[in-house]
Order: sequence, then structure tokens, then C-alpha cells
Amino acid sequence: MGEGEEVKDITLTLPEGGSFEGSSTKVTALDGLTRTGVEGVATPSDNSLKVVFSEPVSQNLLVRLEVEGMAFPSEGGDVVVGGSYTTGAGEQKLDDSKPIETIANTPLQSIVSFLDESPAVAAWNSNQFLGMFFKPQLLVTSLCTLAPGWLLCLAIVAIAYPIAIMLGLLFAFMKISRYRILRAIAITYVNLLRGTPLFLQIYIMFFGLPMMNINIDNNVLGVIVIAVNASAYLAEIFRAGIQSIPEGQYEAASSLGMTYLQTMFYVILPQTIRRVIPTVTSDFITSYKDTSLLSSVGVMELMMFAKNLTSVSGNMTPYVAAAIFYLIVTLPLIKVVGNIEKRIAHSEHGHGLRPKIRTNEEGSAQAEAELGDEISVHAEALEREGALGERVMLSFNSVAAEV
Amino acid sequence: MALFAKKHKGFDAATVPPAMDANEAASIAFAHDQGLSRHHFVEGEHPAVRIEHLNKTFNGETQVLRDVNLDVWNGEIVVVLGPSGSGKSTMLRCINLLETPTAGHILIDDEEITGKSGREVARVRRELGMVFQGFNLFPHLTALENVMVGQTKVLKKDKEEARAEAIKQLEAVGMGDRIDFKPPQLSGGQQQRVAIARAVAMHPKVLLFDEPTSALDPELVRDVLGVMRELALHGNMTMIVVTHEMGFAREVADRVVFMEGGVVVEQGLPEDVFDHPQHERTKQFLGSIG
Repeated sequence: MGEGEEVKDITLTLPEGGSFEGSSTKVTALDGLTRTGVEGVATPSDNSLKVVFSEPVSQNLLVRLEVEGMAFPSEGGDVVVGGSYTTGAGEQKLDDSKPIETIANTPLQSIVSFLDESPAVAAWNSNQFLGMFFKPQLLVTSLCTLAPGWLLCLAIVAIAYPIAIMLGLLFAFMKISRYRILRAIAITYVNLLRGTPLFLQIYIMFFGLPMMNINIDNNVLGVIVIAVNASAYLAEIFRAGIQSIPEGQYEAASSLGMTYLQTMFYVILPQTIRRVIPTVTSDFITSYKDTSLLSSVGVMELMMFAKNLTSVSGNMTPYVAAAIFYLIVTLPLIKVVGNIEKRIAHSEHGHGLRPKIRTNEEGSAQAEAELGDEISVHAEALEREGALGERVMLSFNSVAAEV
Repeated sequence: MALFAKKHKGFDAATVPPAMDANEAASIAFAHDQGLSRHHFVEGEHPAVRIEHLNKTFNGETQVLRDVNLDVWNGEIVVVLGPSGSGKSTMLRCINLLETPTAGHILIDDEEITGKSGREVARVRRELGMVFQGFNLFPHLTALENVMVGQTKVLKKDKEEARAEAIKQLEAVGMGDRIDFKPPQLSGGQQQRVAIARAVAMHPKVLLFDEPTSALDPELVRDVLGVMRELALHGNMTMIVVTHEMGFAREVADRVVFMEGGVVVEQGLPEDVFDHPQHERTKQFLGSIG
């Protein structure tokens, strides 16, 4: 700055695409360590901001501008803030700032800022109910933020359930065993687990084990608790299924010379499985929903994320987003259960597609697989991630540009 | 379940004399049965099934069988008649150990089968085909698979061989055109014919029929009886048939056994029993069913 000159105004410039609209600016001018009464009026225009001082600032003062709420170009990258100032001698250039690293705007942020600006959204949010439970911006944000929690829920139940099925079968067989001791063990196991709340079981496992210096990873422990709990219910389902097969089936199998194991594997269990598929699917739905209880002990699943986001935003919308995540899985499964039930009822009465009646010539040829009432489970809806992959949530609201 | 759980507890051989020496038993039976059966007796042959002093009591109080003795010879067709509750089905079920005899002996080809357990019982049952009143086909398998499953899993035949045998037997019972049907898609008569094919495909020594036509509509009975008649006359089978079909008994049976109150009341050639019953109860029974 030249000798004896005074600065009338300062202009800050962002690269093309940035803007100062909506920024707030604070001007401080220091004379040594004393604050002077200099003030400034900031006027944004496109990508520049002009600060006009109430009185010209003399050269020995230190001027500090704090600008908040400026927007960097959405492409991201290193951004350099340029500038100039005006003295009696005309416009002088300021040194460029050091490059400021910025990250490109995520699609989510674009959507959120688009929604923020939309008057329709503002009108929607002005309704107290809609704004509290279905705030579009927060819904979009929640869906992205909650996705990892949802995936953890799916992972927990997807690992726990096969284990539960194995355990369930084991205890079902123990329960119908001819050995009293095995029956007693199975009955105790099933009754204790079915007779106490899952919530209590979670507390005992998560707080009890660490007290015995057994430390297991939270997620693993979650899988164990869910698996053990579900196995008790499955044991009962399987036992009832096995016992619902008529005695005549055992008699027919053993009159062919089948052993107990052969009878079980080739005759009883295949029929049992068909019968219990609807009930087991319903139980799977219950287990999936029950993972939400794990949020109470710090497993970072869906409910946990929803709870956190709600307490940050003071809005119920994250819970609605969580509900959507639960329903994505449960609704199709509920539909599947209904379909299978219909199908089983159908085939047990001999309705449905019939195979072709063979003429004598083809009679001894090979069998075509034209089975009418084969049950096929549609395992849809379990894989729908994609779309909600990202959760980058950075804000540039308080970048202070010091000059 | 109970079938396996029970095993053979409760069988008490001590209350009856030990099984007789095979040769001695055979010669006594030989002398006894000659003239009672159309069976062509061969000097020195042994019975295929020997029931000795068979007793069965349910729940320790209801005595269903009292000291039943019966010999069935190779290739013989024995029809067992009697009012319901006479113990004829129970006797049949004791033969392949679906019911555990309370006391007595059952021998298949001179081999004692009572008092055996687990695997051995399964091995014995292989030799005894059974056709049930309620068919008891496996509903999750097709007709073909129903006839194959015993061959592949129990006899360990390879699939192609079992399949060819199954198709042969299904064609023999007139079900060759519906081998891909599942039991619920078949009529009762068709199911029973598949059940017969399933039993025959195992090539058992003895075929047991437990009221095979009792659960069928009258118009379907004829088909099933036709299949059984064919099997009896040309199948070279040993058959024990519990039934109420008098016409079938008269035409096909080598010997008719009349049971009542858990004992064998009378037995003999069909024409003797039907036309000249010796016992009052037999007369009453035959009279009552016309």
C-alpha cells in the first residue's frame, strides 16, 4: 500500500460459479491493539463482494474481514480467493489467498439445496405435521445417513437366521427325543427364551458378559443374541411341523425299510419344510424388526442412526425414514407369505397345474419336470442397496476468509 | 414318532414258550395246514411267515390278540376276515413290527424278528411290503418318486435301475400314464394302485394288505381289487390280505382265516369257510354281511 494513502473499499472475488449471496460480513480494523470504529457495508454481486468502509482506512491499520456463508463453486477443487482495494490512486490488486481445498457438491447436497429453495417445499414444511414428520430435505438426508444402519440390520439378521434355523432344528429334535434328559434341556432352553423379553436377554448379554471380562464385538454379540432368541421360536415351529405329519407317513417309510434318519430326511423333513415356510418367514420378519432393540446397547443399526439424527435435527422425519427401511424388507415378505400359504392350500387339495397324462409310448420315456405345485420362494427385496450409497454431509457455512 | 420311540421294550418272551425248533415247527404246520389251503405243499418246505403264540395288549389292559398261531407258506394267498375289532389288522401290523407284540414269536423264513431293534428291524421290514388302508403315499413326491425312493434309499439301487423298475410296476398297476402326478392330484383308487406298485417294487418276500379298499369309493374298489387279483394269480407273491371283500376272498384266496375277539376262530379253503362254516360266530358274521 502506498505511502499516505487511504483505502476506501475492498472487493473479494471468488472463481466463476462461487457466490457471496446470503453472506454475512464482519469488519474489524485494528490500530495496533486498539479497535477503531471503522465499519463497512458489504454488497454482494455474483462472485464478488464489495466492502465499502464508513470512512477511509489509513495505511497503518490492520483490516480484518470475516465473511460467512459464501458458496464455493460446486465442482470443488482448490479455490483461490482474489481481491482488490481502492485508494485515492485507483484500484490496486490484493495478493491471492492460499488455495482452499474444497470437495465437490454431492448429489445429495444439490438435492437438499434444491429443496431448500423450492417454494413448494417451504409451503409443505409450513404445515406443522408435515414439517415435523415428512420434511423432504431431512427425509432425503436421513435415507442416505440411515443406509449403513440398515445394511447392518440386514447383515445381523442374515447371519443370525441361518444359525437360528440350525439351532432350532437341533432343539426341535431334542424336544421330541426319546431321551428324557435331552427333552428336559430343550424344554428349558425354549421356555426360558420364549418366556423372557428379548430386551432383557440383550441387556444380560451385553452388560453381563463384559462384567465377566468376556468382551465380544458388539455386532457379533448382536448376531448371537438374535440367533439364540429366534432359535427358541423356530424350535417350536419345527417341532409342531414335524408332529403335524401323520403317523401313516412314518409307517409307510418304515414299511419300506427306512431307518429313523432316512425317514426323517427323505419323508418327514421335506414335508415339514413345506408346511413351516410361511410361519418361518413371519418369524424372520419378527427377528428383522427385533434388531432395532440392539440400538439400546449401542449397536450402530438403523434405529441408532435414526435416534441420533432426530436428536440433532429435533425432527421426527428420521424415524419415518427408518420405518421406510423396515418396510422395504417386511412388506414384500408379508406378500410372499400370503402367496405361499395360498399355494400350499391349493396343492394339498390337488388343485393347480397338473402334469400331462402320458400316452403309452412316452410312458417309459424320461420324466419332464412339469411339476404343478412345486413351491418356489421368491427371495426378492433383500437386495436393494445401490441408490443410497453416499452419505457425505459437509457444509461450507463457516469458512472464514481472512485478508 | 412313537413308532421309533417305542422300539421293542415291553416285549416279554418269557411269558410264552421259546420259539419251536424250525424243522419241528414246519412239520407240525405242514400237517395242520394241509387240506386247509389250495397251496401246493412240497414235502419239507418251511412257512414263509410263522406266527407263534402271538399276544398283543394295548396300554396294559386291552387285549387285542390272544395266542394267535398262523403259518403262511411261500406263494400262498391268505385272506383274513372278521368283524372290526377282531384284531386282524393288529395281527398284520405285528408281522412287520408296526405294532410291538406283547408276547409271542414271529418268524420270517425261520428268522425270529421279535425282540430286535433299530437297524435290524429296518432290515426285516424290507422283506415285508405293506399296503395301507389310507394309502400313505408321500405327498411331496410324484408317483414315480414314491415308487423309486425305497429302491434308491433302502436298496441302494442306482437311479436309472430304480426308475425302470418303478415305471414297470406303475404300468403293471395301470398308472403308467400318470407317473408325474403327485398323490393329491390322484383319486383314492389311483393312489392305492401307486401304493401297491411302491410295495411290489421292493420285491418283498411277503406283501401285507391292511384293508386296502376300505377307504375307497365303491366304484374305485374294482380297479384296486383287479390289480390285487392280478398280483395274486400271476405275481408269484406271498400275500396276507385283511379285507371285507368276500368276492375277492372267495375267488383269489388259497386260504381264508376268520378271526374274532383276538383269536383265529376258523380257517380253511374259501369254499369250505364260506359255504360250510363250522363255527357259530363265522356263520353269524357271514350271514350278517350276506
